Amino acid sequence: MNALADILFGGLFQGSLYAMMAVGLALVWTTIGVFNFSHGVLMMLGAYFAWQLVDWGLTAALAFPIAVLLMAGVGWVLQATVVRPLIGRANLVLVVVITTLAAGSLIENGVLELWGPRSKQIPPLVAGNAMLGGVGVSLHQIAIIVVTPIILLALWLFLNRTRLGLALRAVAQNEDAARLVGLNVTMLYGLAFAIAASLAALAGIFLGGYRFMTPVMGADPLLKALIVVVFGGISSISGPIFAAYLIGFFEAICSYYFGLYWTPALLFAALILTLMIKPEGIFASRSRGLA
Amino acid sequence: MMNMLSVTGLTAGYGRVTVLHGIGIEAGKHGNVGLFGPNGHGKTTLLRAVSGLLKPKAGSIVFDGADITGESARSIVARGLVHVPQGNTLFPDLTIADCMSLGAFSPHARPHEAANKERVAALFPKLAERWRQRVRTLSGGERQMVSIGVALMSHPKLLILDEPTLGLAPKIKDELCKAVLDISKAGVPLIVVEQDVEFLLELTNHLYFINHGQVETEIKPGDSLAHSDIMAMYFGQ
Repeated sequence: MNALADILFGGLFQGSLYAMMAVGLALVWTTIGVFNFSHGVLMMLGAYFAWQLVDWGLTAALAFPIAVLLMAGVGWVLQATVVRPLIGRANLVLVVVITTLAAGSLIENGVLELWGPRSKQIPPLVAGNAMLGGVGVSLHQIAIIVVTPIILLALWLFLNRTRLGLALRAVAQNEDAARLVGLNVTMLYGLAFAIAASLAALAGIFLGGYRFMTPVMGADPLLKALIVVVFGGISSISGPIFAAYLIGFFEAICSYYFGLYWTPALLFAALILTLMIKPEGIFASRSRGLA
Repeated sequence: MMNMLSVTGLTAGYGRVTVLHGIGIEAGKHGNVGLFGPNGHGKTTLLRAVSGLLKPKAGSIVFDGADITGESARSIVARGLVHVPQGNTLFPDLTIADCMSLGAFSPHARPHEAANKERVAALFPKLAERWRQRVRTLSGGERQMVSIGVALMSHPKLLILDEPTLGLAPKIKDELCKAVLDISKAGVPLIVVEQDVEFLLELTNHLYFINHGQVETEIKPGDSLAHSDIMAMYFGQ
Protein backbone atom coordinates (compact mmCIF):
# COMPACT_ATOMS: atom_id res chain seq x y z
CA MET A 1 0.00 0.00 0.00
CA ASN A 2 2.76 2.31 1.00
CA ALA A 3 4.74 1.56 -2.15
CA LEU A 4 1.75 2.14 -4.38
CA ALA A 5 0.92 5.46 -2.75
CA ASP A 6 4.55 6.50 -2.96
CA ILE A 7 4.85 5.69 -6.64
CA LEU A 8 1.45 7.12 -7.52
CA PHE A 9 2.12 10.36 -5.72
CA GLY A 10 5.70 10.67 -6.92
CA GLY A 11 4.71 9.94 -10.50
CA LEU A 12 1.84 12.39 -10.54
CA PHE A 13 3.92 15.12 -8.95
CA GLN A 14 6.99 14.75 -11.17
CA GLY A 15 4.77 14.23 -14.21
CA SER A 16 2.88 17.45 -13.50
CA LEU A 17 6.11 19.40 -13.14
CA TYR A 18 7.58 17.93 -16.32
CA ALA A 19 4.38 18.54 -18.26
CA MET A 20 4.32 22.15 -17.10
CA MET A 21 7.94 22.64 -18.16
CA ALA A 22 7.67 20.85 -21.47
CA VAL A 23 4.39 22.14 -22.78
CA GLY A 24 5.69 25.67 -23.43
CA LEU A 25 8.69 24.31 -25.25
CA ALA A 26 6.42 22.10 -27.35
CA LEU A 27 4.07 25.00 -28.06
CA VAL A 28 6.86 27.14 -29.50
CA TRP A 29 8.20 24.26 -31.54
CA THR A 30 4.82 23.36 -33.00
CA THR A 31 3.84 26.92 -33.85
CA ILE A 32 7.09 28.61 -34.84
CA GLY A 33 9.23 25.59 -35.54
CA VAL A 34 12.13 26.58 -33.31
CA PHE A 35 13.48 25.31 -30.03
CA ASN A 36 13.57 27.97 -27.37
CA PHE A 37 16.71 27.29 -25.37
CA SER A 38 15.96 30.13 -23.01
CA HIS A 39 12.86 28.28 -21.77
CA GLY A 40 14.62 27.22 -18.57
CA VAL A 41 15.79 30.77 -17.95
CA LEU A 42 12.24 32.04 -18.45
CA MET A 43 11.18 29.55 -15.79
CA MET A 44 13.77 30.99 -13.42
CA LEU A 45 12.89 34.59 -14.24
CA GLY A 46 9.20 33.92 -13.56
CA ALA A 47 10.09 32.53 -10.15
CA TYR A 48 12.29 35.55 -9.38
CA PHE A 49 9.55 37.97 -10.45
CA ALA A 50 7.17 36.17 -8.11
CA TRP A 51 9.74 36.29 -5.30
CA GLN A 52 10.34 40.00 -5.81
CA LEU A 53 6.63 40.81 -5.78
CA VAL A 54 6.12 38.79 -2.61
CA ASP A 55 9.17 40.52 -1.11
CA TRP A 56 7.57 43.87 -1.86
CA GLY A 57 4.66 42.77 0.30
CA LEU A 58 2.17 41.44 -2.21
CA THR A 59 0.22 38.34 -1.26
CA ALA A 60 1.05 35.19 -3.20
CA ALA A 61 -2.45 35.16 -4.69
CA LEU A 62 -1.69 38.51 -6.28
CA ALA A 63 2.03 38.14 -6.92
CA PHE A 64 1.87 34.86 -8.86
CA PRO A 65 -0.62 35.95 -11.53
CA ILE A 66 1.24 39.25 -11.97
CA ALA A 67 4.54 37.40 -12.39
CA VAL A 68 2.93 35.13 -14.98
CA LEU A 69 1.54 38.12 -16.88
CA LEU A 70 4.89 39.94 -16.75
CA MET A 71 6.53 36.85 -18.20
CA ALA A 72 4.04 36.86 -21.07
CA GLY A 73 5.45 40.29 -21.89
CA VAL A 74 9.01 39.04 -21.57
CA GLY A 75 8.17 36.16 -23.92
CA TRP A 76 6.72 38.56 -26.46
CA VAL A 77 9.78 40.82 -26.32
CA LEU A 78 12.15 37.87 -26.55
CA GLN A 79 10.34 36.67 -29.65
CA ALA A 80 10.40 40.12 -31.22
CA THR A 81 14.12 40.58 -30.60
CA VAL A 82 15.85 37.25 -31.10
CA VAL A 83 13.40 35.15 -33.13
CA ARG A 84 11.20 37.21 -35.43
CA PRO A 85 14.00 39.05 -37.24
CA LEU A 86 15.47 35.69 -38.22
CA ILE A 87 12.34 34.06 -39.60
CA GLY A 88 12.91 33.09 -43.20
CA ARG A 89 16.68 32.63 -42.82
CA ALA A 90 18.33 29.40 -43.78
CA ASN A 91 19.16 27.15 -40.80
CA LEU A 92 16.54 28.93 -38.72
CA VAL A 93 16.41 26.17 -36.13
CA LEU A 94 20.14 26.28 -35.44
CA VAL A 95 20.36 30.07 -35.51
CA VAL A 96 17.55 30.35 -32.99
CA VAL A 97 19.23 27.80 -30.72
CA ILE A 98 22.18 30.20 -30.57
CA THR A 99 20.17 33.41 -30.17
CA THR A 100 17.89 32.00 -27.47
CA LEU A 101 20.87 30.50 -25.65
CA ALA A 102 22.55 33.89 -25.80
CA ALA A 103 19.45 35.71 -24.58
CA GLY A 104 19.07 33.14 -21.81
CA SER A 105 22.66 33.63 -20.72
CA LEU A 106 22.19 37.41 -20.62
CA ILE A 107 19.03 37.10 -18.54
CA GLU A 108 20.64 34.57 -16.24
CA ASN A 109 23.61 36.81 -15.51
CA GLY A 110 21.33 39.83 -15.24
CA VAL A 111 19.38 38.04 -12.52
CA LEU A 112 22.61 37.07 -10.78
CA GLU A 113 23.69 40.70 -10.86
CA LEU A 114 20.34 42.04 -9.70
CA TRP A 115 19.24 39.53 -7.07
CA GLY A 116 22.55 37.92 -6.14
CA PRO A 117 23.53 34.27 -5.87
CA ARG A 118 21.96 33.58 -2.47
CA SER A 119 19.19 31.03 -2.82
CA LYS A 120 15.66 32.17 -2.22
CA GLN A 121 12.28 30.60 -1.74
CA ILE A 122 8.79 31.75 -2.60
CA PRO A 123 5.74 30.80 -0.56
CA PRO A 124 4.03 27.54 -1.55
CA LEU A 125 0.73 27.61 -3.41
CA VAL A 126 -0.87 26.09 -0.33
CA ALA A 127 0.94 25.92 3.00
CA GLY A 128 0.90 22.83 5.21
CA ASN A 129 1.25 19.09 5.00
CA ALA A 130 -1.02 16.10 4.82
CA MET A 131 -0.87 12.32 5.14
CA LEU A 132 -2.01 10.48 2.07
CA GLY A 133 -2.14 6.66 2.08
CA GLY A 134 0.62 6.56 4.64
CA VAL A 135 2.83 9.03 2.80
CA GLY A 136 3.53 12.47 4.11
CA VAL A 137 3.08 15.10 1.40
CA SER A 138 2.98 18.86 1.29
CA LEU A 139 -0.20 20.59 0.21
CA HIS A 140 1.92 22.56 -2.28
CA GLN A 141 2.64 19.34 -4.13
CA ILE A 142 -1.02 18.34 -4.03
CA ALA A 143 -1.92 21.76 -5.42
CA ILE A 144 0.52 21.26 -8.31
CA ILE A 145 -0.97 17.84 -9.06
CA VAL A 146 -4.46 19.37 -9.15
CA VAL A 147 -3.71 22.66 -10.89
CA THR A 148 -1.47 21.35 -13.70
CA PRO A 149 -4.07 19.17 -15.48
CA ILE A 150 -6.56 22.04 -15.31
CA ILE A 151 -4.11 24.41 -16.99
CA LEU A 152 -3.10 21.84 -19.59
CA LEU A 153 -6.74 21.12 -20.33
CA ALA A 154 -7.43 24.83 -20.69
CA LEU A 155 -4.50 25.12 -23.11
CA TRP A 156 -5.73 22.11 -25.08
CA LEU A 157 -9.24 23.55 -25.29
CA PHE A 158 -7.87 26.90 -26.39
CA LEU A 159 -5.81 25.30 -29.15
CA ASN A 160 -8.48 22.89 -30.33
CA ARG A 161 -11.78 24.62 -29.66
CA THR A 162 -11.24 28.29 -30.44
CA ARG A 163 -10.65 30.02 -33.73
CA LEU A 164 -7.58 31.80 -32.38
CA GLY A 165 -6.17 28.45 -31.23
CA LEU A 166 -6.88 27.05 -34.66
CA ALA A 167 -5.01 29.97 -36.19
CA LEU A 168 -2.07 29.29 -33.89
CA ARG A 169 -2.00 25.65 -35.00
CA ALA A 170 -2.25 26.64 -38.65
CA VAL A 171 0.41 29.34 -38.82
CA ALA A 172 3.24 26.84 -38.42
CA GLN A 173 2.06 24.61 -41.21
CA ASN A 174 2.00 27.10 -44.05
CA GLU A 175 2.87 30.72 -43.50
CA ASP A 176 1.80 31.97 -46.93
CA ALA A 177 -1.55 30.22 -46.74
CA ALA A 178 -1.97 31.59 -43.21
CA ARG A 179 -1.44 35.13 -44.45
CA LEU A 180 -3.80 34.62 -47.38
CA VAL A 181 -6.72 33.80 -45.08
CA GLY A 182 -5.96 36.93 -43.09
CA LEU A 183 -4.03 35.61 -40.12
CA ASN A 184 -1.71 38.05 -38.37
CA VAL A 185 1.43 35.93 -38.49
CA THR A 186 3.52 38.34 -36.40
CA MET A 187 0.87 38.50 -33.67
CA LEU A 188 0.47 34.72 -33.60
CA TYR A 189 4.23 34.20 -33.23
CA GLY A 190 4.27 36.69 -30.37
CA LEU A 191 1.29 35.01 -28.78
CA ALA A 192 2.93 31.58 -28.94
CA PHE A 193 6.01 32.90 -27.15
CA ALA A 194 3.95 34.85 -24.61
CA ILE A 195 1.91 31.76 -23.69
CA ALA A 196 5.06 29.61 -23.55
CA ALA A 197 6.81 32.10 -21.26
CA SER A 198 3.76 32.27 -18.98
CA LEU A 199 3.69 28.51 -18.70
CA ALA A 200 7.42 28.57 -17.95
CA ALA A 201 6.84 31.16 -15.23
CA LEU A 202 4.17 28.98 -13.70
CA ALA A 203 6.53 26.02 -13.70
CA GLY A 204 9.13 28.28 -12.04
CA ILE A 205 6.66 29.27 -9.35
CA PHE A 206 5.83 25.60 -8.76
CA LEU A 207 9.53 24.81 -8.43
CA GLY A 208 10.39 27.82 -6.30
CA GLY A 209 7.70 26.88 -3.82
CA TYR A 210 9.34 23.68 -2.73
CA ARG A 211 12.97 23.98 -3.75
CA PHE A 212 15.48 26.76 -3.26
CA MET A 213 15.80 29.15 -6.17
CA THR A 214 19.08 30.15 -7.76
CA PRO A 215 19.77 31.94 -11.04
CA VAL A 216 20.73 28.60 -12.62
CA MET A 217 17.65 26.73 -11.44
CA GLY A 218 16.30 26.60 -15.00
CA ALA A 219 19.09 24.52 -16.52
CA ASP A 220 18.00 21.15 -15.21
CA PRO A 221 14.29 21.66 -15.95
CA LEU A 222 15.16 22.72 -19.51
CA LEU A 223 17.07 19.48 -20.00
CA LYS A 224 14.14 17.51 -18.59
CA ALA A 225 11.70 19.40 -20.78
CA LEU A 226 13.82 18.60 -23.84
CA ILE A 227 13.82 14.92 -22.90
CA VAL A 228 10.07 14.97 -22.43
CA VAL A 229 9.45 16.72 -25.74
CA VAL A 230 11.79 14.45 -27.70
CA PHE A 231 10.43 11.37 -25.95
CA GLY A 232 6.79 12.31 -26.52
CA GLY A 233 7.32 13.43 -30.05
CA ILE A 234 7.67 16.99 -31.21
CA SER A 235 4.67 16.94 -33.49
CA SER A 236 1.96 17.81 -31.04
CA ILE A 237 1.11 19.38 -27.75
CA SER A 238 -0.58 16.30 -26.32
CA GLY A 239 2.39 14.00 -27.01
CA PRO A 240 4.75 15.78 -24.58
CA ILE A 241 2.00 16.02 -21.97
CA PHE A 242 1.46 12.25 -21.96
CA ALA A 243 5.22 11.71 -22.11
CA ALA A 244 5.73 13.96 -19.09
CA TYR A 245 3.45 11.83 -16.94
CA LEU A 246 4.92 8.64 -18.37
CA ILE A 247 8.43 9.79 -17.45
CA GLY A 248 7.19 10.95 -14.06
CA PHE A 249 5.85 7.49 -13.30
CA PHE A 250 8.89 5.80 -14.80
CA GLU A 251 11.13 7.81 -12.50
CA ALA A 252 8.91 7.18 -9.50
CA ILE A 253 9.00 3.43 -10.11
CA CYS A 254 12.75 3.38 -10.78
CA SER A 255 13.67 5.45 -7.77
CA TYR A 256 11.46 3.30 -5.55
CA TYR A 257 12.86 -0.04 -6.69
CA PHE A 258 16.37 0.80 -7.89
CA GLY A 259 17.14 4.01 -6.04
CA LEU A 260 17.62 7.60 -7.09
CA TYR A 261 21.16 6.88 -8.23
CA TRP A 262 20.08 4.58 -11.07
CA THR A 263 17.06 6.55 -12.19
CA PRO A 264 18.68 8.93 -14.71
CA ALA A 265 20.64 6.09 -16.33
CA LEU A 266 17.53 3.95 -16.65
CA LEU A 267 15.56 6.89 -18.00
CA PHE A 268 18.12 7.55 -20.71
CA ALA A 269 18.30 3.84 -21.54
CA ALA A 270 14.54 3.84 -22.02
CA LEU A 271 14.76 7.03 -24.07
CA ILE A 272 17.46 5.63 -26.36
CA LEU A 273 15.52 2.40 -26.83
CA THR A 274 12.34 4.32 -27.64
CA LEU A 275 14.05 6.52 -30.18
CA MET A 276 15.67 3.50 -31.85
CA ILE A 277 12.28 1.89 -32.33
CA LYS A 278 10.24 5.03 -32.97
CA PRO A 279 12.53 7.94 -33.90
CA GLU A 280 9.66 10.42 -34.12
CA GLY A 281 8.74 9.88 -30.43
CA ILE A 282 6.18 7.58 -28.91
CA PHE A 283 3.07 9.67 -29.33
CA ALA A 284 4.02 11.35 -32.55
CA SER A 285 2.96 11.35 -36.11
CA ARG A 286 5.63 12.25 -38.59
CA SER A 287 4.89 15.90 -39.12
CA ARG A 288 5.07 19.03 -37.09
CA GLY A 289 1.86 20.70 -36.02
CA LEU A 290 -0.39 20.70 -33.02
CA ALA A 291 -3.05 18.10 -32.57
CA MET B 1 -18.66 49.22 -64.05
CA MET B 2 -15.48 50.64 -62.58
CA ASN B 3 -12.27 48.74 -62.67
CA MET B 4 -12.09 46.69 -59.51
CA LEU B 5 -8.37 46.27 -59.70
CA SER B 6 -5.83 48.49 -61.45
CA VAL B 7 -2.19 47.62 -61.36
CA THR B 8 0.11 50.28 -62.82
CA GLY B 9 3.85 50.33 -63.35
CA LEU B 10 4.42 47.53 -60.88
CA THR B 11 8.02 46.52 -60.25
CA ALA B 12 8.71 43.62 -57.92
CA GLY B 13 11.05 40.73 -57.39
CA TYR B 14 12.94 38.64 -54.91
CA GLY B 15 16.08 40.07 -53.34
CA ARG B 16 18.14 41.69 -56.08
CA VAL B 17 16.32 39.88 -58.84
CA THR B 18 13.60 41.95 -60.46
CA VAL B 19 10.86 39.85 -62.00
CA LEU B 20 8.21 42.41 -62.84
CA HIS B 21 9.29 45.42 -64.90
CA GLY B 22 6.55 48.02 -64.64
CA ILE B 23 3.66 45.72 -65.37
CA GLY B 24 0.08 47.00 -65.57
CA ILE B 25 -3.25 45.17 -65.73
CA GLU B 26 -6.89 46.07 -65.24
CA ALA B 27 -9.52 43.68 -63.92
CA GLY B 28 -13.18 43.76 -63.13
CA LYS B 29 -14.40 45.95 -66.00
CA HIS B 30 -15.11 43.21 -68.45
CA GLY B 31 -15.71 40.39 -66.06
CA ASN B 32 -13.02 37.77 -65.75
CA VAL B 33 -9.40 38.27 -66.65
CA GLY B 34 -7.02 35.61 -67.84
CA LEU B 35 -3.24 35.71 -67.59
CA PHE B 36 -1.08 33.46 -69.66
CA GLY B 37 2.46 33.20 -70.85
CA PRO B 38 5.53 31.06 -70.40
CA ASN B 39 6.57 29.91 -66.95
CA GLY B 40 9.03 32.05 -65.00
CA HIS B 41 7.93 35.34 -66.53
CA GLY B 42 6.13 36.89 -63.60
CA LYS B 43 2.52 35.73 -63.51
CA THR B 44 2.75 34.26 -60.02
CA THR B 45 4.96 37.13 -58.81
CA LEU B 46 2.35 39.60 -60.02
CA LEU B 47 -0.38 37.79 -58.11
CA ARG B 48 1.76 37.56 -54.97
CA ALA B 49 2.37 41.31 -55.12
CA VAL B 50 -1.33 42.00 -55.62
CA SER B 51 -2.37 39.89 -52.62
CA GLY B 52 0.29 41.41 -50.36
CA LEU B 53 2.57 38.38 -50.00
CA LEU B 54 5.32 40.33 -51.74
CA LYS B 55 6.09 44.02 -51.23
CA PRO B 56 6.37 45.78 -54.58
CA LYS B 57 9.41 47.97 -55.23
CA ALA B 58 7.53 50.51 -57.32
CA GLY B 59 4.17 51.07 -58.92
CA SER B 60 0.68 51.08 -57.54
CA ILE B 61 -2.18 48.69 -56.93
CA VAL B 62 -5.67 50.08 -56.53
CA PHE B 63 -8.50 47.79 -55.45
CA ASP B 64 -12.12 48.81 -55.05
CA GLY B 65 -11.19 52.49 -55.04
CA ALA B 66 -8.45 52.21 -52.41
CA ASP B 67 -4.69 52.22 -52.85
CA ILE B 68 -3.52 48.91 -51.42
CA THR B 69 0.12 49.10 -52.53
CA GLY B 70 2.33 47.64 -49.81
CA GLU B 71 -0.57 46.73 -47.53
CA SER B 72 -0.36 43.49 -45.55
CA ALA B 73 -1.95 40.36 -46.94
CA ARG B 74 -4.27 40.40 -43.95
CA SER B 75 -5.83 43.76 -44.72
CA ILE B 76 -6.04 42.93 -48.42
CA VAL B 77 -8.03 39.78 -47.67
CA ALA B 78 -10.25 41.85 -45.42
CA ARG B 79 -11.05 44.07 -48.43
CA GLY B 80 -12.33 41.03 -50.30
CA LEU B 81 -9.38 40.45 -52.64
CA VAL B 82 -8.70 36.76 -52.17
CA HIS B 83 -5.84 34.77 -53.66
CA VAL B 84 -5.66 31.02 -54.20
CA PRO B 85 -1.93 30.40 -54.71
CA GLN B 86 -0.45 27.89 -57.08
CA GLY B 87 -0.21 24.33 -55.75
CA ASN B 88 -1.41 25.41 -52.33
CA THR B 89 -0.50 22.74 -49.79
CA LEU B 90 -2.73 24.45 -47.23
CA PHE B 91 -2.48 23.17 -43.67
CA PRO B 92 -1.59 19.48 -43.89
CA ASP B 93 -2.55 18.55 -40.34
CA LEU B 94 -5.84 20.39 -40.19
CA THR B 95 -9.16 18.94 -41.24
CA ILE B 96 -11.18 20.33 -44.14
CA ALA B 97 -13.61 21.79 -41.62
CA ASP B 98 -10.72 23.53 -39.79
CA CYS B 99 -9.52 25.04 -43.06
CA MET B 100 -12.99 26.33 -43.85
CA SER B 101 -13.25 27.93 -40.46
CA LEU B 102 -9.84 29.59 -41.01
CA GLY B 103 -11.11 30.85 -44.36
CA ALA B 104 -13.71 32.80 -42.44
CA PHE B 105 -11.10 34.27 -40.07
CA SER B 106 -11.31 37.76 -41.54
CA PRO B 107 -13.92 39.85 -39.66
CA HIS B 108 -15.74 40.78 -42.86
CA ALA B 109 -16.26 37.09 -43.68
CA ARG B 110 -17.59 35.98 -40.28
CA PRO B 111 -21.22 37.02 -40.77
CA HIS B 112 -21.36 35.03 -44.02
CA GLU B 113 -19.68 31.93 -42.64
CA ALA B 114 -22.70 29.61 -42.56
CA ALA B 115 -23.94 30.68 -45.98
CA ASN B 116 -20.49 30.37 -47.54
CA LYS B 117 -20.04 26.93 -46.02
CA GLU B 118 -23.24 25.75 -47.69
CA ARG B 119 -22.05 27.28 -50.93
CA VAL B 120 -18.74 25.37 -50.75
CA ALA B 121 -20.55 22.15 -49.88
CA ALA B 122 -22.88 22.60 -52.85
CA LEU B 123 -19.99 23.40 -55.16
CA PHE B 124 -17.82 20.48 -54.02
CA PRO B 125 -20.08 17.68 -52.78
CA LYS B 126 -16.97 15.53 -52.60
CA LEU B 127 -15.57 17.64 -49.77
CA ALA B 128 -18.84 17.82 -47.89
CA GLU B 129 -18.69 14.06 -47.50
CA ARG B 130 -15.45 14.18 -45.55
CA TRP B 131 -15.44 17.34 -43.61
CA ARG B 132 -13.37 15.77 -40.79
CA GLN B 133 -10.59 14.42 -43.01
CA ARG B 134 -7.07 15.82 -42.76
CA VAL B 135 -5.76 17.83 -45.70
CA ARG B 136 -2.59 15.75 -46.00
CA THR B 137 -4.64 12.68 -46.90
CA LEU B 138 -6.34 14.37 -49.84
CA SER B 139 -5.43 14.04 -53.49
CA GLY B 140 -4.06 17.02 -55.40
CA GLY B 141 -7.43 17.75 -56.97
CA GLU B 142 -9.27 17.54 -53.68
CA ARG B 143 -6.71 19.83 -52.08
CA GLN B 144 -7.26 22.33 -54.87
CA MET B 145 -10.99 22.14 -54.12
CA VAL B 146 -10.30 22.85 -50.45
CA SER B 147 -8.09 25.77 -51.48
CA ILE B 148 -10.85 27.29 -53.57
CA GLY B 149 -13.35 26.50 -50.82
CA VAL B 150 -11.22 28.31 -48.24
CA ALA B 151 -11.03 31.32 -50.58
CA LEU B 152 -14.82 31.35 -50.93
CA MET B 153 -15.12 31.28 -47.15
CA SER B 154 -13.16 34.56 -47.18
CA HIS B 155 -16.15 36.07 -49.01
CA PRO B 156 -14.28 37.38 -52.07
CA LYS B 157 -15.24 40.41 -54.13
CA LEU B 158 -12.52 39.44 -56.57
CA LEU B 159 -10.97 36.00 -56.65
CA ILE B 160 -7.46 35.23 -57.91
CA LEU B 161 -6.81 31.66 -59.06
CA ASP B 162 -3.24 30.71 -59.86
CA GLU B 163 -3.21 27.64 -62.09
CA PRO B 164 -6.20 25.93 -60.50
CA THR B 165 -5.91 22.84 -62.68
CA LEU B 166 -2.14 22.41 -62.69
CA GLY B 167 -1.08 18.78 -62.74
CA LEU B 168 -4.55 17.30 -62.32
CA ALA B 169 -6.04 14.24 -63.98
CA PRO B 170 -8.50 15.11 -66.79
CA LYS B 171 -11.60 13.94 -64.94
CA ILE B 172 -10.97 15.93 -61.79
CA LYS B 173 -9.79 18.84 -63.90
CA ASP B 174 -13.18 18.96 -65.67
CA GLU B 175 -14.85 18.97 -62.29
CA LEU B 176 -12.73 21.91 -61.14
CA CYS B 177 -13.25 23.86 -64.36
CA LYS B 178 -16.99 23.46 -63.92
CA ALA B 179 -16.77 24.67 -60.32
CA VAL B 180 -14.72 27.70 -61.38
CA LEU B 181 -17.30 28.54 -64.07
CA ASP B 182 -20.06 28.19 -61.46
CA ILE B 183 -18.27 30.61 -59.13
CA SER B 184 -17.92 33.04 -61.98
CA LYS B 185 -21.61 32.71 -62.90
CA ALA B 186 -22.54 33.38 -59.29
CA GLY B 187 -21.09 36.86 -59.81
CA VAL B 188 -17.56 36.69 -58.41
CA PRO B 189 -15.13 38.21 -60.92
CA LEU B 190 -11.96 36.18 -61.39
CA ILE B 191 -8.34 36.65 -62.31
CA VAL B 192 -7.11 33.30 -63.56
CA VAL B 193 -3.67 32.10 -64.54
CA GLU B 194 -4.05 28.98 -66.61
CA GLN B 195 -2.08 26.96 -69.12
CA ASP B 196 -5.19 25.33 -70.57
CA VAL B 197 -6.08 27.81 -73.30
CA GLU B 198 -9.46 26.19 -74.03
CA PHE B 199 -10.55 26.64 -70.44
CA LEU B 200 -9.21 30.17 -70.34
CA LEU B 201 -11.16 31.13 -73.46
CA GLU B 202 -14.31 29.57 -72.07
CA LEU B 203 -13.91 31.62 -68.91
CA THR B 204 -13.00 35.00 -70.35
CA ASN B 205 -12.22 37.01 -73.44
CA HIS B 206 -10.03 39.53 -71.67
CA LEU B 207 -6.51 38.17 -71.65
CA TYR B 208 -3.01 39.36 -70.92
CA PHE B 209 -0.02 37.67 -72.42
CA ILE B 210 2.80 38.12 -69.92
CA ASN B 211 6.37 37.79 -71.03
CA HIS B 212 9.63 39.01 -69.45
CA GLY B 213 7.76 40.58 -66.52
CA GLN B 214 5.66 42.79 -68.76
CA VAL B 215 2.37 42.68 -70.59
CA GLU B 216 3.37 41.84 -74.14
CA THR B 217 -0.13 41.71 -75.57
CA GLU B 218 -3.52 42.58 -74.19
CA ILE B 219 -6.48 40.91 -75.80
CA LYS B 220 -9.63 42.89 -75.10
CA PRO B 221 -13.17 41.58 -75.42
CA GLY B 222 -14.26 41.94 -79.00
CA ASP B 223 -10.83 41.27 -80.40
CA SER B 224 -11.07 38.27 -82.60
CA LEU B 225 -8.82 35.58 -81.36
CA ALA B 226 -8.24 32.01 -82.23
CA HIS B 227 -6.64 29.23 -80.32
CA SER B 228 -3.84 29.24 -82.84
CA ASP B 229 -3.07 32.92 -82.17
CA ILE B 230 -2.42 32.13 -78.54
CA MET B 231 -0.29 29.16 -79.45
CA ALA B 232 1.70 31.45 -81.70
CA MET B 233 2.31 33.82 -78.78
CA TYR B 234 3.55 30.99 -76.62
CA PHE B 235 5.83 29.43 -79.14
CA GLY B 236 6.66 32.28 -81.49
CA GLN B 237 5.76 32.38 -85.15
